[in-house]
Amino acid sequence: MSTVMITQKRRRRLRHDWPWMAAFVVPAALLVVAVQFYPLLFSAYLSTQDWTLTSSQSSEGFVGLQNFAKVLQNDVFQRAVRNSALITGTAVVLEMIIGTALAYLAAGSSRIIRAVRTLLILPLVIAPVAAGTLWRMMLNSQMGLTNYLLSFLGIQGPDWLGNADWALVSVIIVDVWMTTPFVLLVVLAGVSSIPDELHESAALDGASRWKSFLYIDVPLMAPLLLLTFLFRMLESLLSLDSIYTLTLGGPGYATFTMTYYIYTLGLRSFNLGMAAAASWLFMSFATVALLVVFWLQRRWQTAQ
Amino acid sequence: MSSGSFTKGIQRVLRVLALTIACLVVLVPLGYLLLNSVKPQSEMYTIPPIIFPSHITWEHFEAAFNNPRTLRFLTNSLTVTGITTAVTVVVSTMAAYGLSRMGLRAGVLSLIIFVFLFIRFYPRITTVIPYFLVMRQLALLDTVWAVIIGHLGITIPFVTWLMLIVFQDLPREVEEAAEVDGASPLQRFGLVALPMAAPGVASAAILTAFLSWNEFLIASSVTKRQAQVLSIAVASFVTDRGVQWGPMAAMAVIMIVPMILFALFVQRYLIRGITLGAVKG
Repeated sequence: MSTVMITQKRRRRLRHDWPWMAAFVVPAALLVVAVQFYPLLFSAYLSTQDWTLTSSQSSEGFVGLQNFAKVLQNDVFQRAVRNSALITGTAVVLEMIIGTALAYLAAGSSRIIRAVRTLLILPLVIAPVAAGTLWRMMLNSQMGLTNYLLSFLGIQGPDWLGNADWALVSVIIVDVWMTTPFVLLVVLAGVSSIPDELHESAALDGASRWKSFLYIDVPLMAPLLLLTFLFRMLESLLSLDSIYTLTLGGPGYATFTMTYYIYTLGLRSFNLGMAAAASWLFMSFATVALLVVFWLQRRWQTAQ
Repeated sequence: MSSGSFTKGIQRVLRVLALTIACLVVLVPLGYLLLNSVKPQSEMYTIPPIIFPSHITWEHFEAAFNNPRTLRFLTNSLTVTGITTAVTVVVSTMAAYGLSRMGLRAGVLSLIIFVFLFIRFYPRITTVIPYFLVMRQLALLDTVWAVIIGHLGITIPFVTWLMLIVFQDLPREVEEAAEVDGASPLQRFGLVALPMAAPGVASAAILTAFLSWNEFLIASSVTKRQAQVLSIAVASFVTDRGVQWGPMAAMAVIMIVPMILFALFVQRYLIRGITLGAVKG
């Protein structure tokens, strides 16, 4: 009886408040429409136009899906797709493994361990452009610190940024260095939300630490780990800054990723039509990944 | 028993070893950057490299600050970050409160949350080129406003999403009691909900500041000279013909050291903000 009354009262109040609450939302909504939705539609339009800004101030006409065909047949684009898959695939798997391991190793509340955690998350706040520059110096084959340190171990370091394969490895190293702390933080938060009693009763039953990790922590954190994986995957695909300062896409086209390819196409060669077409191809992939993320989140929330 | 404590001892040693290596992997590159920024030019390009300079020189920083452009980069970065953060926090907190108290149906709210998620993760490069054209049309190219509005387009949806999580977690009873006492919607927002959400607002503000300060793609696409920010200054050394490690390192230090100090200072809020979005979603 009383619940019914409260619900009715709440409903009446909500109707009364609605204009206020809508007014609160208006400025944000306007901005999002102007700065996100409008450019998105504009970009969809651009993808069907023949327009290179360096040769013409306005579009030279509708070309249908020709831009898409040109992009798909482009060697550099195909290489960029392969590079993106390789870099993101390798980097994110490494980040998940190292980040999870470090989260367990760096758990605890003593003063030293807290200082260690503070240190470990520093790369997260460093600007990616600066991280790229810093590793550009580190990985210089002659004058850099990395190969100098390797020489003490009797290893002759490779020409990191000059060799096409090692340049890809370098990009992966920088991605891992920058964002492993993110995985560490998320896993740490996930672990601390697992009730201690579960571990205690498992220990009483004689389960080893490894077993209780495998049979308690992993199943409980599976949704979180999967989401973190997808978040990191999307973010890694979009990263541009660190590649820009680390390799400039080189040597040659060796470290062109999809993002970097679209960037040079649009903002260096100013081929607006092709750049827009390439970004919509990229977008369709990202949207599928996002729908998976979203579906998982909803499912996970209702399960809780 | 003794073999148990022996394996325990080994485990302990391995843990310390692993954490030490991890700390070194973080610290050594940062230390190397700092050393390069105070290393004399003559010791910069030697083979094998000289790690610790024979004496500390401030010449790279002096050169940087003697260049009027550096000060402009710095003031532009501060302006962009300051305005972006202030506007984002006000606009997004209000929007999140409105959305969470509007009594929207679950389906509608889900859709809105998906839009936020989409804006956060779709390839931003898609909208950068049209955004550049729009700014050109409005004659805003190469102004800090082009950078600020571009940043707001990212930070407002992101922070609204974060604050939505915060407001949905707040207990409604206090607000309902305030309403019974005759508080207006504005009073309930400003005097009741906002103080309870204050730690969340702090996290959101700090994350926004980092995002805006470190951002490169939008800033590089809509600026040429006047409105350039620090991220562009750091990146610009890469395309220069000669290798200029000293000035390049100094500029990177100017950009990241204030943020590292800031991060140490506000660590708790920063970590809360970073994990909030991932854990709660």
